[in-house]
Amino acid sequence: MGFELLRPATVPQAVALASAAAPGELAVLAGGTDLLLDVDRGLVAPRRVLSLARLPWHSHRWAKGGLTVGSAEPLRNLELDPRLARRLPGLHDAIRAVGSVALRERATLGGNVVRAAPASDLLPILLAYDAVVDVVGPEGRRSVALDALLARSREPALGHGELVASVAIPTTADSVYRWQRVRPANDVSQVGVAVVRSTERPYWRVALGGVPSRPLRLHDVERELARARPTREELGRAAAVAGASAPFVSDKRASEPYRRRVVALLLTRSVEQLLARATPKAG
Amino acid sequence: MARARRGLEVNGHRRSLDGVPDDERLLDTLRGRWRLTGTKEGCRSGGCGACTVLVEGRPTLSCLTLSSEVEGSAVTTIEGIASDAVGRVVRTAFEREGALQCGYCTPGFVLALVGLLKERGARVASETLVEELSGNLCRCTGYVSIRRAAEAAREALG
Ligand SMILES: Cc1cc2nc3c(=O)[nH]c(=O)nc-3n(C[C@@H](O)[C@@H](O)[C@H](O)COP(=O)(O)OP(=O)(O)OC[C@H]3O[C@@H](n4cnc5c(N)ncnc54)[C@H](O)[C@@H]3O)c2cc1C
Ligand code: FES
Ligand code: FES
Repeated sequence: MGFELLRPATVPQAVALASAAAPGELAVLAGGTDLLLDVDRGLVAPRRVLSLARLPWHSHRWAKGGLTVGSAEPLRNLELDPRLARRLPGLHDAIRAVGSVALRERATLGGNVVRAAPASDLLPILLAYDAVVDVVGPEGRRSVALDALLARSREPALGHGELVASVAIPTTADSVYRWQRVRPANDVSQVGVAVVRSTERPYWRVALGGVPSRPLRLHDVERELARARPTREELGRAAAVAGASAPFVSDKRASEPYRRRVVALLLTRSVEQLLARATPKAG
Repeated sequence: MARARRGLEVNGHRRSLDGVPDDERLLDTLRGRWRLTGTKEGCRSGGCGACTVLVEGRPTLSCLTLSSEVEGSAVTTIEGIASDAVGRVVRTAFEREGALQCGYCTPGFVLALVGLLKERGARVASETLVEELSGNLCRCTGYVSIRRAAEAAREALG
């Protein structure tokens, strides 16, 4: 059975439509790379689909100290902005891990956040940047830390009728995202590690994807990396902690012991890569 | 839903979207409705690139795009590639390098490469060229000839 497409031109109209719908009757469409596949597989059967296409959410903005990404901005637009690789290199790495060029022409960062997939390549780096999500709904606007939005596994903490308007990254920081998977394009990461190097404590912010529940910050690893320039031994201990404490399981993509070895390697290489760069990136 | 629609401009010709259901994919509108069967359906789930077309000059998966979502846009399919300067260069490169066997993946590769050369220009690094074509799958060639064709097209434009 097909669906009817609603294409409101203003945010209040979109919120009114989303709020008026009965549960399960309406689905939100950003790029559709998750939603349309769910429809094809019969996982959801919305009668109406609310398109974000005409809302003023198709842009990204650099402001003092950070980046704000409209929820309907395609990933490809971000990646083609030459400032991204300079100012937020880890986000650039992560975006280029998603699917393929032609997929990223439609897939959005907002859709990836709402999808909250445990193997998402974008969530680890966004968590490491302490990203904040701007939400609009029947009660107005609110900002929520991404970490809090992801509190429940696979189900972001959005109320009925609420839409993600934008995602804000409150920093520009040297950073890297590394992943392990069988095939570079169109494959799912077995493990993803995001590392952000900060000029303030904690100097190293580390987050992980490829765990069963949801991507998460590795605070115990961050504590091991207490100093701006950790020694080899300190880095080795941090890698051991990452390998031992990350809540991995075995599944069809990789075994638990494999993931434990890989996470230690990815963490070590990421920190070494950032230490080898002359100065922390800025501007 | 009854409403005035702006249609699409496909290979330079205006096409109406009247009567096209809201949930129809661009792939099906192109192939089933307009008989532009050069665009191929492979996986229908975003993973093979066979259905790649250009929307406003940029490579897009037509299997994961609703026709109604891109109304008002210019769409280029393999049928329109000869009227594009970069398209002609890429086609010649594929012919010269013999970069196809069964040909099923070819329209997707050609459109992906044309879009990429337009987005990144003829100075694009070989590494980027290969990486950005890696969303397109080919079961026949082993990719070496396709890679040669991509580099030949880049040289010809440089
Ligand atoms: C072949 C293929 C390969 C992929 N590879 C990767 C990969 O390597 N790494 C990776 O991380 N992901 C990958 N993905 C998934 C990735 O494409 C999506 O997660 C994408 O980023 C989601 O964005 P979208 O705009 O397409 O979302 P949509 O499909 O439009 O929406 C996703 C979900 O979020 C809801 N939603 C969307 N926007 C909003 C909003 N503003 N407010 C409220 N709800 C909203 C929708 O209702 C839906 O439930 C892949 C997908 C495919 C098909
Ligand atoms: S048919 Fe669209 S990507 Fe395979
Ligand atoms: S030539 Fe047959 S799939 Fe590529």
